[in-house]
Amino acid sequence: MALNLDGAKPIYLQISEWLENEILNGHFVSDQKIYSQYQLADIFNINPATAAKGLNILAEEQILYKKRGLGMFVTSNAKEMIVSKRKNQTLKRLVQEIVIEAERLKVSKDELIEMINITIMRRAGE
Amino acid sequence: MSVIECKGLTKAFGGTKALDNFSCKIEGNTITGLIGRNGAGKTTLLKIIAGYLQQTTGEITVFSERPFNDLTVSANVIFVHDQLNLPTALNLKEILDVMASFYQNWDRELAQRLFDYFSLHPMQYYNGLSKGMKSTFNMIVGLAARTPLTLFDEPTTGMDAAVRKDFYRALLKDYIAYPRTIILSSHHLDEIEDLLEDILLMQRGQMLLHMSVTDLKEWAVGLEGRTVAVKEWTKNREVIFSKNGGLDQTYVVVRNDFTAAELQKVKLAGIKTLPVSSSDLCVYLTSKTKGGIDDVFNKG
Repeated sequence: MALNLDGAKPIYLQISEWLENEILNGHFVSDQKIYSQYQLADIFNINPATAAKGLNILAEEQILYKKRGLGMFVTSNAKEMIVSKRKNQTLKRLVQEIVIEAERLKVSKDELIEMINITIMRRAGE
Repeated sequence: MSVIECKGLTKAFGGTKALDNFSCKIEGNTITGLIGRNGAGKTTLLKIIAGYLQQTTGEITVFSERPFNDLTVSANVIFVHDQLNLPTALNLKEILDVMASFYQNWDRELAQRLFDYFSLHPMQYYNGLSKGMKSTFNMIVGLAARTPLTLFDEPTTGMDAAVRKDFYRALLKDYIAYPRTIILSSHHLDEIEDLLEDILLMQRGQMLLHMSVTDLKEWAVGLEGRTVAVKEWTKNREVIFSKNGGLDQTYVVVRNDFTAAELQKVKLAGIKTLPVSSSDLCVYLTSKTKGGIDDVFNKG
């Protein structure tokens, strides 16, 4: 995966989201050791301090836990925590953006819901 | 522990002050980007840190020593710039051998591998190299010396894009393996910012900003939208940059001291909030007028 270096999102947030995705995908399971700041720095070609900031966000949210001298590990209910966080924050924000854009385009509520339904059906059909 | 401490550093050349009451602290094991316009005092600062020049007034310590004419400092610091005075009678291989005898941590193998990778020839002479190849050779010296403090002044002058990319990668990899204090001056902030931990922005011999790159990215915010709406939100703030774009559209950069609730209101007012890239921000902060080059062409 490449980071979106010019993007709106700070790199350390992209790092923490990437790690969350790795946990959601099952690439890292409970109590498994996650990448160190130096491995992340090497993988993404970024300063180790930036990578550490990405890790620390997840440690603060208790998605990761620290073992002194050993590194950071995945918390047992990390997956559930990520899912509920993304639902309450990321998804809500995206929905708000959709609603604002719909208002701008004078798309009615029913029309918008219809568009969402179609998208869901199309994906189910794939 | 701070590796470098400067307090009220001033360096005058004739009537002009290249450094003017400059103070800062550089922490150990960090990569700091030294950014500023031409003539901001970057090279003078690096020369004083390396002990090449003595300040006019003020104090500086490097590894707790005064750097000027100090052997400890010169053994622990390498200053790489495009006017390195390398012996013209020695070929590149011989120069590397001399370097190896001077710098205690010199990594012979790394020097050799980089030397081969960039297709330099041991029998070549430094003065016979192109501008880009000179910079490449300097970079190899700077990395292989592995001194506790490494200063790169515009290291990528003349390098093509591929070599620049390789250099940044090599610098990062060697830093990860052997953490040390590195200062990198550059005009290409957009190219180096991901490598950096801190940015030190200089203007007219003074320090304008010194903060982590991640903080700098959130330090300012761009607001874009209808002029009236944007003006409403920026009227009591210091405008860092503003530009009129299109019909009744304004883009304004201000300090990002909005609360989350305020940002929400801004968005609902139909104003886009955009991140300001570090390199744009540094240009805005160090430009002499608020408008920039466009003002030159705006008569009346």
